[in-house]
Amino acid sequence: MISDVISEEKTKAFLFCNEAIVRAALESDVKVVAFYPGSPVSEILDTFFQISDKFDIKMEVATNEKVALEIVAGASMGGQRSLTALKSVGLNVASDTFFSLGYTGINKGCVLVFADDPYCHSSQSEEDGRFFAENSYIPMLEPTDPVEAKEMVKKAFVLSEEFKTLVLIRTTTRINHQSTVVPLEPLDRTEFTPSSFRAFNKKYATVGSKARELKSKMLERRDRIKNAFEDSRFNNITEGELDHGIIVSGVSYNYVKEVCSRLEINPPILKLGTTYPLPTLLISNFIENLSGVIIVEELSPYLELRVKALAKDTNPDIKIYGKESGHFSEAFEYNIPIVFKAFQEIFQIDTKTDYNAILKKRNELKTFLPVRIPVFCPGCPHRVTFWALNRALAGKSNKIAFINDIGCYSMLLLNKDIYNKMNADDLLLAMGATLGTGSGISLAAEEKVISVIGDSTFFHAGLPGMVNICNNDEDVIVVVLDNSVTAMTGQQANPGTGYGPSGVPKHKIIIEDVLKGIGFENIVITDCFDAKSSIPAFKNALEKRGPSIIISRGPCALWNDRNKRKRGEQIQPYYVDNSICRKCHTCMRDFYCPAISMEAESSQYIDLNNKSWQGYSSHISNELCDGCGVCSIICPYTNHKQRSENDVIKPYKQQREVRHDL
Amino acid sequence: MTYNIMTCGVGGQGLMLVSNILGLACAEYGLNIRTAETHGLAQRSGSIYTHIRIGERVFSPLIPYGEANVLLGMEAIEALRYIEYLKPNGSIILNNYIWYPVQSTFERVKNPETEYVSTEKILKQLQKVTDKIHVINALELAKQAGHPLTSNVVLLGALARSENFPVSVEQISKIIPRVVPEKAIDANLKALTLGFKVG
Repeated sequence: MISDVISEEKTKAFLFCNEAIVRAALESDVKVVAFYPGSPVSEILDTFFQISDKFDIKMEVATNEKVALEIVAGASMGGQRSLTALKSVGLNVASDTFFSLGYTGINKGCVLVFADDPYCHSSQSEEDGRFFAENSYIPMLEPTDPVEAKEMVKKAFVLSEEFKTLVLIRTTTRINHQSTVVPLEPLDRTEFTPSSFRAFNKKYATVGSKARELKSKMLERRDRIKNAFEDSRFNNITEGELDHGIIVSGVSYNYVKEVCSRLEINPPILKLGTTYPLPTLLISNFIENLSGVIIVEELSPYLELRVKALAKDTNPDIKIYGKESGHFSEAFEYNIPIVFKAFQEIFQIDTKTDYNAILKKRNELKTFLPVRIPVFCPGCPHRVTFWALNRALAGKSNKIAFINDIGCYSMLLLNKDIYNKMNADDLLLAMGATLGTGSGISLAAEEKVISVIGDSTFFHAGLPGMVNICNNDEDVIVVVLDNSVTAMTGQQANPGTGYGPSGVPKHKIIIEDVLKGIGFENIVITDCFDAKSSIPAFKNALEKRGPSIIISRGPCALWNDRNKRKRGEQIQPYYVDNSICRKCHTCMRDFYCPAISMEAESSQYIDLNNKSWQGYSSHISNELCDGCGVCSIICPYTNHKQRSENDVIKPYKQQREVRHDL
Repeated sequence: MTYNIMTCGVGGQGLMLVSNILGLACAEYGLNIRTAETHGLAQRSGSIYTHIRIGERVFSPLIPYGEANVLLGMEAIEALRYIEYLKPNGSIILNNYIWYPVQSTFERVKNPETEYVSTEKILKQLQKVTDKIHVINALELAKQAGHPLTSNVVLLGALARSENFPVSVEQISKIIPRVVPEKAIDANLKALTLGFKVG
């Protein structure tokens, strides 16, 4: 918790890994931090967001990861210690600047934490970012748990200043999203005093002949770092008695340790923490007298291929087990059962433990279990926008191409059956890609293109695509889903939110002003919670040729609830009067709010003309309803403009407290 | 001795508070703990879990299949979803509560005669793995404690009653004032006690 992250007295605390990383940066006297949120590192931003003012740290929530990296690189060149953190695909965005930084180096300690996401828990691809380090000649450390993550971040600042280079900390989701008891050291913060960029008299320009000169220096720097890494405390050998050893890095080290004790085997283990440049002498010495070595690493065979190359000179007959031998997969995360099975096979151990059999047997108990895929929250503006769009598309579903993008609205693709007019699983690539791919489809195909993009994504990677659409007069409808925050990663502020770290007001960027400035003429702004008002806007756009913009505006429900709680407001839930519900199921069939379910018992309603309706009413959960009231707008038997007792869906008599965990 | 606790539920039920309280208690009383949590997608209503492992020789953040001493299901469907983690004949603390997934409502709209999954049906399956199942009406006890949102702490109280549980209910009660809003401390402490009594 935050109080432990900033504690001056404690010597240890139970910390989430992302908090431990923040603590390490604080103990390292970091002065400038900048981020764009992305799971699994968003909480590094969130933690700094709450504390930066307490420590006089300059913090920015940047427009995207490239800008964030440039901010911290610039701050380092300007003379201050700095840090950024981003997710795997965020490093793709930042990569242009990143590669140049390999050449130019930096000045004061500059650390980049990047997190890969094996299993794609919250990413569009399962990248192995370790290749970025090798390709850029930028050193990389890989922790095995939160304790080591904290130690490595501190060491990274030191290495960064010693070798005048950016230093990478590479984590994975299971490292970032882990908590344990972490030792704390004194904060020893110094006062922020502006430095002088010119006083350092260093050059950071790279192009042509300058780049060629820097390349040789960079190679020479790589060799010096490699020599230093040969003795790094982050690489350690556990002596063993078997002739087969293990080389391992990252979270897998924990699985290896537990599996060895479960199988009661004692192989020598080389745990690598400095994974670029690799300590090749250490590795060669380790494998020299072994008859076999097992490489345990998630994702690509990064270590495996290098160990193979080293073995060619050191110990060509050694057997190497890993991905290429078929014992481990390049896909998804590892765990104890996966490592156990591979070791059992390689070390030929008979054991009664069969994790796969347990999994298979228990899965047989679940055959009827319903899926619970992520859906929009109760009160979410996106559900309303897509309800209206689905309505506007009646009869047109085969004549449109719906292009999705990255954000909460990505979840549409998991709910494609519900919003069936859109074929929402047709296309989704990367941040902002909805615009370029939409333009391409409009050039190539006859369908009318609808590209959706969130407000944060619009600022992050949407601007070039928008300029392109306007410049080329593309026949594309762009729906900007403006919920005021970067919702998916935890409702962080973005350029359109209007405030920054510690709630300090920021110059708010107005999306429609940006679009007008670019030159768009057809811009319609709708209040998405006035659900029916958006339908004509969508219909008009579908009839037009050329670019149309619809900004569908309404705050993120979770963010809005948190603001309500701060203001002391309550939630006004709705309920279904099932004594007069006509069992038409419109609210369920068309809206799919998690707060609405179907009654278990069938019931009957007979009206004054003796017309009768028999069936299952819908039911609104009082505790889940967020009070957006949209179900009462779409209910055919409710007049939301002039509410009365005759309405089927009505405001509940009592308001409800906003949850305190927000 | 390693003690493994698998907890699961639906996003928005307050699962994180449970592992956080246990973590703070372990830090306070010198126990080694490691937890692996679900974060990432910020929205409500998704399936979520936390692996909690306590013991000197714990390294992996994830519990292997069949090794959880106890499974805490804050929601019945989710309890069955993570049943592979429970030890044969390990214990289950089950909240008597079902949060119907939207997808089930989608199926019922298509055919209203299909039924939602019931707690009874889930219990039947869970009983094939263990006979140590404590079904708890957490919401009712939470209301008794003074706040319906303390269901999670009721269940934590029941969890603390589990055989050989490494953290005492007294130790947990000392952590609670640090992690809940001041005005909610009394209700949460009461919820813990009520949960412990029925656990």
